[in-house]
Amino acid sequence: MMKNFIERWLGTLFGLVFMGLSLVVTVETVMRKVFTVSLQGAGELGGYALAIGATIAFSLALIGRTHIRVDVFHDRLPAWLQTALNWLSVISLAAFASLMAWLAWFVIRDTQTYQSVAQTPWATPLVYPQGAWLFGLIMFALVSVGLAIHASILLLTGRADELNANYGPRSTKQEVDEELEDLKSRSSNVAAHVNITATGVRP
Amino acid sequence: MNVTYILIAFGLMLGMMLLGLPIAVAMAGVGIVGGLLAYGMPFIDSIAPVLWGVHNDNLLTAVPLFVLMGELLLRSGIADRMFGALAAWLGRLPGGLLHTSIGCSALFAATSGSSVATAATVGTVALPSLYKRGYRMDMSLGAIAAGGTLGILIPPSVNMIIYGSLTDTSIGKLFIAGILPGLLLTGCFMLFIWGHALVTGSTIREEKVPLAQRLRALKDLIPPGVVFFIVMGSLYTGLATTTESAALGVVTSLFFAWYGGKLNWTLLQHCFVQTAKTSGMILLIITAAFILNLAISLTGVAEAMTTWVTSFGLSATQMLLVLVVFYFVLGMFMDVLSMMVATIPITFPIVTHLGVDPVWFGIFIVLMCELGMITPPVGMNLFVVHGIRPDKGGIRDAMVGAVPYVIIMLVFTLLIIAFPEIVSWLPSKM
Repeated sequence: MMKNFIERWLGTLFGLVFMGLSLVVTVETVMRKVFTVSLQGAGELGGYALAIGATIAFSLALIGRTHIRVDVFHDRLPAWLQTALNWLSVISLAAFASLMAWLAWFVIRDTQTYQSVAQTPWATPLVYPQGAWLFGLIMFALVSVGLAIHASILLLTGRADELNANYGPRSTKQEVDEELEDLKSRSSNVAAHVNITATGVRP
Repeated sequence: MNVTYILIAFGLMLGMMLLGLPIAVAMAGVGIVGGLLAYGMPFIDSIAPVLWGVHNDNLLTAVPLFVLMGELLLRSGIADRMFGALAAWLGRLPGGLLHTSIGCSALFAATSGSSVATAATVGTVALPSLYKRGYRMDMSLGAIAAGGTLGILIPPSVNMIIYGSLTDTSIGKLFIAGILPGLLLTGCFMLFIWGHALVTGSTIREEKVPLAQRLRALKDLIPPGVVFFIVMGSLYTGLATTTESAALGVVTSLFFAWYGGKLNWTLLQHCFVQTAKTSGMILLIITAAFILNLAISLTGVAEAMTTWVTSFGLSATQMLLVLVVFYFVLGMFMDVLSMMVATIPITFPIVTHLGVDPVWFGIFIVLMCELGMITPPVGMNLFVVHGIRPDKGGIRDAMVGAVPYVIIMLVFTLLIIAFPEIVSWLPSKM
């Protein structure tokens, strides 16, 4: 429940950022061509949208378990090794996420020291977009560390099955099933064109 | 830099990936440990600006935008409806609906970057009809699995954006370069189906659809067609950059979703969440790849490998043939996006040193990724089509059905090695 709520909320934020960006960029591109007036800065805005959007997306992919893991040999390994690898995966992702947040802090510190501004007509003080970026990376780090703690508790209390179920690689089957689930919800369309093709059936 | 160390590090990275550790962690981990061993803590400091550089790169903004565009067209049912229109036009060819599946995949590819979504959508629509009308199951599964791979060759292609950003190659040129090989490969697939139908005598054809109805069906091809022409047209004429063309594509897709009466909040939210998950996965791998790239360029790995490989005295063609074997084997076991990102920091400098054109090599790499999608044991598309087949049968059918297409792709790769103009002609006209 909680997971769905976060997913929808963060997903919406992510989507609105890029939908808004698309509208601005489209207006800019059309104006540049038709009226040869440039609003300037649409490209710069795109960079900031990515910086903020990417950090949200990292967290969502983490919650949705879409960060790729190869599962070809995984299923054939002994159970204890699978558990160990699943635990190590969560821990290592948490370490990587924390490292990124820490490095982002370096970036911000330098920006503040040199009062850096973007090399663009807007001369945006970089501390604003980088601040949002740092915030997003800290969120990603917190979520991943939270999951790592949860996985460690499961491991220490001997609940290996639960650990594997929650943190094992998402199989292709799951991915296909999700895609099919969505297709079913669009089934009215599917039915519509099966009808068209059905006219081609021999009597 | 000692080549033995490099090979050990590369082997370790592949090992971590194959054991099932997250791909991004395996790449970043090897990069960071390598950099630390060579330079100590200052290496960590040098990652920080790279991190901001990648996440602030307007070029990469095209990734979430193209993913969003594909999601909008897919979830609003615009892509589904193409099948009906194509069935009406292509069903008469010997091999009938199999052509429709290939054609539909190709068109779908022009609007979507996801091969799973392509194969799943085309498969769900096509497989029940194919089954009911007695098409051979292995042929059907193979055609849909192979058709799905066209998604990354026919632009817009997320894989090409990633290749372009990692190697500093023009993404616009890569997109344009993908068109002709994409069409030719589609043609080869259809030619095979045609030939197979004639030779085996199992020439299933669909009933003729009246012209009026066929013309009416064309309207379902308008939205994907318009989106494709706006995106590629604005790129080709230089009106827009890659990211701008992606933004135009998103807005056009939004318009068609609205026009079709499908645009509502639930649909949008669903598209947003899916886009975020896919983009997050891709962007984290790209981030890791740039960290690995930094270690590789600082420690001189690329130069060492290039010197080592050139010491064998291979010509460019021989080297490419070695790479075909290398990627073919690797693609059997690895997810193709990960394979691409993990290997190009090494293979790209080697082949460009031998005089291979960067744009051409991008298309080559994408073809190798396509192969990896339909070669067992880890052929993503094989599992997808197997997962949606309406009858009960083994995964073997999908694998057997894909074999001819694997051979076609390998021959096609040799063809573009022999005639690089197939790839380079169109971008040279830009």
